[in-house]
Amino acid sequence: MKAIPHKRSREVEAWLKRELVEQKRRYKKIVAEQDALAPKRDKWVAEFLQRIQTRGTHVHWDQMRKVRPEEIPVKPKRKFRVVF
Amino acid sequence: MARPHIEPFVDRDVPFKKMTLPGFPKGMQYKMLSIDTDNGACSMTVLFEPGYKQPPGMSYTEYELFIMTGSVTIGEKVHGPGSYVFVPAGVAIEALSSSRGATGLLFYNHGEPSFVESDSDHPRAERDRFASVNAYENMQWTSTNFFPATAPGCLVKVLRFDQRTHAFTFLYCMTPNFWQDNISYHDCVEEAYHIWGTSWMMQFGELPTGGYFWRPPYINHGAFGCKLGTLAIGRTDSQLYNHFHFNPWTNPEENQERAASRLLHRNPELYKWVNTHGHNHPIDFDYDHGHAQGDTPHHHGDGRVDHGHKKKKRRRR
Repeated sequence: MKAIPHKRSREVEAWLKRELVEQKRRYKKIVAEQDALAPKRDKWVAEFLQRIQTRGTHVHWDQMRKVRPEEIPVKPKRKFRVVF
Repeated sequence: MARPHIEPFVDRDVPFKKMTLPGFPKGMQYKMLSIDTDNGACSMTVLFEPGYKQPPGMSYTEYELFIMTGSVTIGEKVHGPGSYVFVPAGVAIEALSSSRGATGLLFYNHGEPSFVESDSDHPRAERDRFASVNAYENMQWTSTNFFPATAPGCLVKVLRFDQRTHAFTFLYCMTPNFWQDNISYHDCVEEAYHIWGTSWMMQFGELPTGGYFWRPPYINHGAFGCKLGTLAIGRTDSQLYNHFHFNPWTNPEENQERAASRLLHRNPELYKWVNTHGHNHPIDFDYDHGHAQGDTPHHHGDGRVDHGHKKKKRRRR
């Protein structure tokens, strides 16, 4: 039994509505902040793709393998999203 | 669980609000971390003001409470920092008070926060599922036992494990100079709150103390790094499997497709059965039949999972 069926009062419905509106606002702010982080992220990605070819990528626990240059993925043309 | 992707969010950037929901006594404040748009289930940072008193009572949904600072007393028992309590729906806990105040995290799992004054359990309550532990004092750090595993230096304490879904709540820490050079995603929802410390992820940047995320399945995260160490609490809604890779640009649809493809290689017989059985409606002999309980998505060979079943009428003899 995850939850017991019950009837919500008007006050509860109003509270939920307010919280959901605030969450929408919060989500939009996060998306904007993450979009602004894009130049830094591109740099981090470039460094990561370099490291996995020299030091390696983690496969399991402390096991790592070096990635061959031909395995490095190509950036697609679509927008690079991190928040969905 | 229908919550949007909230990542990253730092609760230190927002003030506490007074809890005004009916039933809750005065003296409780909260910061909303994330909330389910369908059922009102939510995660909150909470503040119990000094002198807070709550009579014995129950909630309509199961909830989890983790104490970060200060203490609360439930009945006679004092719950200080590191205390974790899992309260199933309808289970009445004894009076709760906080003489000097406390901060913590409250997770309402399947419905909006509710408090009904009562000194006895609801008839449908499952008291045997109640759990309480002090994770700082009575538990040891262990390595993660996921395969493939996270890199050395990420340790866990499992606070609660659901034997049916493999959902779990856990403390985790990253040791100073922890790093993991891969990208991960999971088939489950993952949620976490930084109790102390800052860590870094290639997608989202730094997540400091008070940092939080609610991450739906199949979303890339990593590479990872942590300079000075981090202590956090995490939760999942089902089994956590580390799908590791190194393509920064894949999206959740591609990740899900890849996960399904990998399932074929990891569990070939099961995959084959699920894919080819005309009526893919597995029956778990440990639990009620899905039709009766209505909690097992399935189709009848037509791919349509959005249907219900009427109760079968019994013939009178």
